[in-house]
Amino acid sequence: MNKLFTLILPVILTVALPVSGVSGNSTILPSAENAAHEDNYSAPMLAATDAAAQDETFTAPDDFENENLPWLDDEDEELDVYDPLETINRGTFWFNDKLYFYLLKPVARGYRWLMPDPLMLGIGNFFSNLASPVRIINAGLQGKFTDAGNELTRFAVNTTIGIGGFFDTAKDHFNLTKKEEDTGQTLGYYGIGPGPYLVLPFFGPSSFRDGVGLLADSRMDLTYYLWEDWDYWSAIILKTVNTVALDKDTYEGVKRDALDPYLFVRDAWTQYRQNKVEN
Amino acid sequence: MLKRLFLILAFGITLAAANIASADISPTDSIRGSVDGILTLLQNKQLDKVTRRKEMRKVINERFDFRAMSQSTLATNWKKASEDQQQEFVTLFSQLIENTYIGRVEAYTDEKVDYPGEKIQGKKAVVETLILTDSADIPINYKVYQKKNGEWWVYDVIIEGISLISNYRSSYKDIVSKEGLDGLLAKMRDKIKELETQPA
Repeated sequence: MNKLFTLILPVILTVALPVSGVSGNSTILPSAENAAHEDNYSAPMLAATDAAAQDETFTAPDDFENENLPWLDDEDEELDVYDPLETINRGTFWFNDKLYFYLLKPVARGYRWLMPDPLMLGIGNFFSNLASPVRIINAGLQGKFTDAGNELTRFAVNTTIGIGGFFDTAKDHFNLTKKEEDTGQTLGYYGIGPGPYLVLPFFGPSSFRDGVGLLADSRMDLTYYLWEDWDYWSAIILKTVNTVALDKDTYEGVKRDALDPYLFVRDAWTQYRQNKVEN
Repeated sequence: MLKRLFLILAFGITLAAANIASADISPTDSIRGSVDGILTLLQNKQLDKVTRRKEMRKVINERFDFRAMSQSTLATNWKKASEDQQQEFVTLFSQLIENTYIGRVEAYTDEKVDYPGEKIQGKKAVVETLILTDSADIPINYKVYQKKNGEWWVYDVIIEGISLISNYRSSYKDIVSKEGLDGLLAKMRDKIKELETQPA
């Protein structure tokens, strides 16, 4: 197999197409930091404004308070998305969209019909377990030694008692939950910004930084070392299809509801990664 | 990731205890009341689809402050908008959010919800919830504020670090800068029409 391809494909595992299903498994608890941004607020939030008086025509639930809330302005944290490649990105987004609807989704639907739920969950656990080194190494590189130890324990427990990672015994019986860490987050931890937003063919939303991270991640994933050539591709495809099959039509929902799905996915992805780096 | 976004909508909604004098009700209890209300509706197999949707809309409207959300979403464009434009935006925006919620919620009927904690700062609070699914636990935080009557109302939902309002704000800002506020409103009207003709 072409070496270059081998470099890139593993990434699918992590960011399954436009679905960005990978993230689906993390269990990061919203931390105090989220709320901390608002600590400085103390103004009289409900102070009536002049606008309130002008608002009589607005129809809404009975107890609606038709006034502008001045404190809301302080909440407007600007989401900063740098997207100089928008034109190209939109093209790639379109390509991924077609790929998803005309190839991946129909395959995943058949697969879901065929496979019992527990088996799909098991396969998801199995691949997630193989990716443990990604989390162990990157938690370690960020000095999060408790997390690294936690992931190491999870890997040991799930590989043995969890029968090769098929069961998440560490979570179910030892209350050790997974925490996603990857190279993109490590780079972010050391102050490297995401750079331009990037939609990767097959892999979906990313950025220059996270794209580099994905390459590194793929080499820390045991999947890469367990199989070669076609076996490896088959594993990658299985993992991807399994992820999409477990997903509850998330992308369909976005596609249906968003005024501009491209912008919606881009902004959600950016926030998601920003939050991951900060936690 | 996006899955969580929708979950948020789906579960964030509050309800049941709507009219109980709420001065003593904590932010978490307010959210819990609404989430339970939604879950009850979803699990009630006797309700037909239309009735259930209507009831869910009611629950949403009794906990989500769509006007606050609209103001926050449009940000600086809110003040530039005329009263009429503001009103129309609130109406369209609440319809879109409700649609998104209702379209997604049926996928998640069997999940359990945990309430790990809340943080209250004066008249504002963040309520943490955790949706427990087979494959993952999904953190959903509700930002709420206290109205004069003591009730806690939702003005933002944060699904695994993704603020719903920030997301809309950013996307809508792009659209407004290219097509103006009227362009945005037209797009919203079209989308709602489209959603009505092809229900989820």
